[in-house]
Amino acid sequence: MDLSGPPLIRSVRFRQEREADWKRLDDLVTRTEKNGVHSLSWAEAQSLAQLYQNASNSLSVAREISLDRGLLTYLEALVARAYLAVYAPQETLGGLFARFFTQSAPRAMRACWPHILIGFLCMFLGAAVGYGLYFQDTAWYHTFVPGGLAGGRGPGASTEYLRGVIYDEHGWAGLGSFASFLFSHNTRIAIFVFGLGAFAALPAILLTAYNGTVLGAFMALHVDRGLGWDIGGWLSIHGVTEISAICIAAGGGIRLGQAVLFPGQYTRRDALWIAGRDAVKLAIVAAIMLVAAAILEGYGRQLIQDMTARYIIGWGIGLLWLAWFVLGGRQKHTRL
Amino acid sequence: MKNETIIPPEGVPVRFNVAGVGVRLGAQLIDVILTMLLILAIVIGFAFAGLGGRWLEGFAALTFFFLRVPYYILTELMWNGATLGKRMLGLRVVSSNGRSLGVYGVVARNLMKEAEVFLPMALVFTISGEDPVSGLIAGAWCLMALAIPVFNRRNQRLGDMIAGTYVIHRPEAVLLPDAAEAAQEAVAEGMFTFQTHQLEHYGAFELQTLEGIIRKLKDTKSTHRKAQEMEMLKIVEAIRKKIGYSDPVPHQDHEEFLGAFYAAQRRHLEARQLFGDKRADKFHAEKKDETAS
Repeated sequence: MDLSGPPLIRSVRFRQEREADWKRLDDLVTRTEKNGVHSLSWAEAQSLAQLYQNASNSLSVAREISLDRGLLTYLEALVARAYLAVYAPQETLGGLFARFFTQSAPRAMRACWPHILIGFLCMFLGAAVGYGLYFQDTAWYHTFVPGGLAGGRGPGASTEYLRGVIYDEHGWAGLGSFASFLFSHNTRIAIFVFGLGAFAALPAILLTAYNGTVLGAFMALHVDRGLGWDIGGWLSIHGVTEISAICIAAGGGIRLGQAVLFPGQYTRRDALWIAGRDAVKLAIVAAIMLVAAAILEGYGRQLIQDMTARYIIGWGIGLLWLAWFVLGGRQKHTRL
Repeated sequence: MKNETIIPPEGVPVRFNVAGVGVRLGAQLIDVILTMLLILAIVIGFAFAGLGGRWLEGFAALTFFFLRVPYYILTELMWNGATLGKRMLGLRVVSSNGRSLGVYGVVARNLMKEAEVFLPMALVFTISGEDPVSGLIAGAWCLMALAIPVFNRRNQRLGDMIAGTYVIHRPEAVLLPDAAEAAQEAVAEGMFTFQTHQLEHYGAFELQTLEGIIRKLKDTKSTHRKAQEMEMLKIVEAIRKKIGYSDPVPHQDHEEFLGAFYAAQRRHLEARQLFGDKRADKFHAEKKDETAS
């Protein structure tokens, strides 16, 4: 170094001493961005973390002592990139699924039981209203049940026709029906009910209750014709799972709505984030149940014609869900 | 461009540029096209295998549903918060609390995407003809879903708020040569010397503007040299007038003069800063008077 001139500026020396390390970090980060952190060797991964900490230290110092904008922008960007590389999500998919099914899903269900209960209440209150109104005046049926959903089954249809739909196999079975179910009315309702919850819960409650009135009016129509037991079986085989799924999705929506309406000691944004942790799990559980219901509807309803068997399968599967929610993910010893 | 600061566990704040709504729509469009192509390829493959009719219709709808949702979740988990579309446009999802982007965040933001974006969009396209009221509601919903990210600080969708995430531009790091080091030669030769009182005029803003000019001079090709020299002359004269530098600066030494002044000014300002006297710009003296009174 030429010592004859004035000594170097402090920030220039600062940069010269550390530049090699920054360059090394830059190389490691670039490789991680391209091929993932798994492409690094053990020693390299270790030095990535070390160099990141040094660089963020340098940034902190440089912000205080240096006015070199070129250096500051570089360090800002380098540390930001290294931060993203070091704090990347590190999850294996297998562990993810296992943890969800054995622990987090049932725990979230138990934590949100009041919300799910409200979801079920909305559904049943709606059903009661629909049921009662039908017996007052059958014209209510058309108010509640959309034409596409009823498929010709209305107060005008003959009892034989209604019985025929319940026991007949003229619907197309298998995958086609399965898929059509998944995109049908109820999946949309479930997605909406969950998404709408974030807007203050009220739309979720109303939509669930409305869905209940559809169900109630539909039941009333069949009870009126003396087909009560039969429609019960027809609905049970998939309906126990499917209607529960809608109620659980509503529970998730209500959980989000609660966070927006009553954030408590948090800001609304934070409250939404906290509520979301459980609500999202409820939504996934609802989605799994809807897929199960689709399989039951697509295959089970056409294959099993015996009414008692329909009841047993429908409610038996309902009990299995319940057992999962109640018993799953419990720890024997509470951690201290 | 909007800035957001994240505080990682190391405690040194890191700044990011928040991605705009336009570029995010672009990334979304790329992703939609890619997934569509993939599904189309699978379905066409099955059609050639001799399957068809109702079964294939159902199968197509199913693959669409079972590929689309996991696609976003898995790509964002595997590639550190970027789907293919985001990767192409240099975007990334980050977690706003400074910790690593968790599974919860990725799943939550992409599940909400279904309720927020895809479903109402599908409704707008499918039902507007027969049922104008629901079509309008779905349209209003779409507009609102778009409006939320436009009007908040971090351009967050509803799903982002629930997930505690937002989308940023991937930072690019280019280390430029130190402008003061480049001027070291001129300083060492002692061509120009500045008195302390001459360095009291400017602040950090002017210094960094000068830094930008010096960098630009180094990059400029010879064809633009003429215009550059005119500009340089103006700057040198302005600085000389401001600081009261009476010696004339010959034409060929303009670049060296700027370099030497930059180095001296930076040394002075950084030294003042170490003593707690931060000077943001040339109005620093007046500001100090204001706070004193």
